[in-house]
Amino acid sequence: MKYLANSRNSLLRRLADMAIILAMCWFAAYAARAAELKVPQQVSAGEGFKITTSGSGSETFYLVGPAHVAKREVKLGEPIEIAGEEVRAAGRYVAQLGKGDDAARAVFYVIAGKPANINFLARPSRVAAAKSGAISGVAFVFDQFSNAVLAPTPVNFNLAVEGGAPVTRTVKTQNGIAWTRMDSGRKAGAAQFVASVGDTSVRRVVEQVASDACNLRLKAQRKDDVVIVETDPVRDCAGNAVPDGTIVTFTQVDAQGRSTVDARVKRGIARAELPPSDGATISVAAGVVIGNEVRIGGGR
Amino acid sequence: MKAFLAALVMLAATGFAADANPGVPKNNGPKVELKAAAAQPRQLEDTTEVAIERDYSVAWKALATALGENRADALDAGFVGVARNKFGKAVDDQNKAGLRRRYTDRGHKLEAVFYSPEGSAMQLRDVAQLDVEVLDGNTVIHREQIVQPYLVVMTVAEGSWKVRVLEELPK
Repeated sequence: MKYLANSRNSLLRRLADMAIILAMCWFAAYAARAAELKVPQQVSAGEGFKITTSGSGSETFYLVGPAHVAKREVKLGEPIEIAGEEVRAAGRYVAQLGKGDDAARAVFYVIAGKPANINFLARPSRVAAAKSGAISGVAFVFDQFSNAVLAPTPVNFNLAVEGGAPVTRTVKTQNGIAWTRMDSGRKAGAAQFVASVGDTSVRRVVEQVASDACNLRLKAQRKDDVVIVETDPVRDCAGNAVPDGTIVTFTQVDAQGRSTVDARVKRGIARAELPPSDGATISVAAGVVIGNEVRIGGGR
Repeated sequence: MKAFLAALVMLAATGFAADANPGVPKNNGPKVELKAAAAQPRQLEDTTEVAIERDYSVAWKALATALGENRADALDAGFVGVARNKFGKAVDDQNKAGLRRRYTDRGHKLEAVFYSPEGSAMQLRDVAQLDVEVLDGNTVIHREQIVQPYLVVMTVAEGSWKVRVLEELPK
């Protein structure tokens, strides 16, 4: 009888133990399932933060972002520290606790921080002076981690050549880009084209060269058995000397027909020798620009 | 002669079939549909439109390969600058953590919004349809279908258009 009572107690104790184990397993499973992640919806790039968790025990934490991927063990119920360097890249991040379908998961976005860098495209690198809309500048604005800053940001464009008045324009970015088109200055020289946002600026050099020749003038003089033709110093309409090497064409028309000589500008002047001719008309041109005509006749 | 003619007809048919599916690149990359009408301040040339569709598809194929096989060198086919560095770091991190990301790319609706005056840079917006799986070793730990907007900057590099910026935008 006593033996029966003992074995019944032992059975009850075993059942109780099993119930406790089952309860613990259930609780552990429940706790794991109940683990939740609370993340901010939006985070500024490079700024660390904490993800709060619930539940108990430990679990594998995954962070999957555009430029950073991490996997580590964390204690449930304690906050997960996300370092600033883990969220430097703007974009979509998935934070996950555990694996499989019942894993806790949260999505958040990292957005760009303050403007800190400019990518500046300035074109062309060489341009004729005094040309309307000939220079373009495009500024891409980034934060310190090279994320595009999408918030509208004013960008200052400044174009200046030494001795000339600078031209300044302020343009707000749209989707991280500001652009402008500017006239080249009247003065030849190395123009400094600067784009700036706050304290950050980027400089490019645009070489402004003399434009087409303007007021092209020629003089002719008979010497021995040739006619020497020579231009005045060749300048563009803004008074800039055209570069040496610019081709100037002298054309002589007389009773025998037409003869043409191409000469390069040297030290600002183009010069050529033409065969002697009575009653010839000599003209001069450079590119599309036509200069004056002179007529030379016998004895003149 | 008949066989030759038949082959000729088949070749022509293949060509026409390809032309009948604009946006489907011949590089096995994902489908890219480009809308270029809104681009400012410069209009896209026809050849540029074709090049952008082709090269953007190449870039996504490269990204899928790089993240799926943890091969940063695969990125060179489509990325330069910031984007190349960013995804290169992601591949490094994945390697360290023993993770991979598998993309099934269901296509891109791309819209050109800015084309620089001198024609060397373009900003676009993309809405990508992707199935993404994250694998820890060979176990899929996360699987999702997303429709994700992207900000894209492409520039001319090494004779083709390459992605310089590719950022997911908050929905």
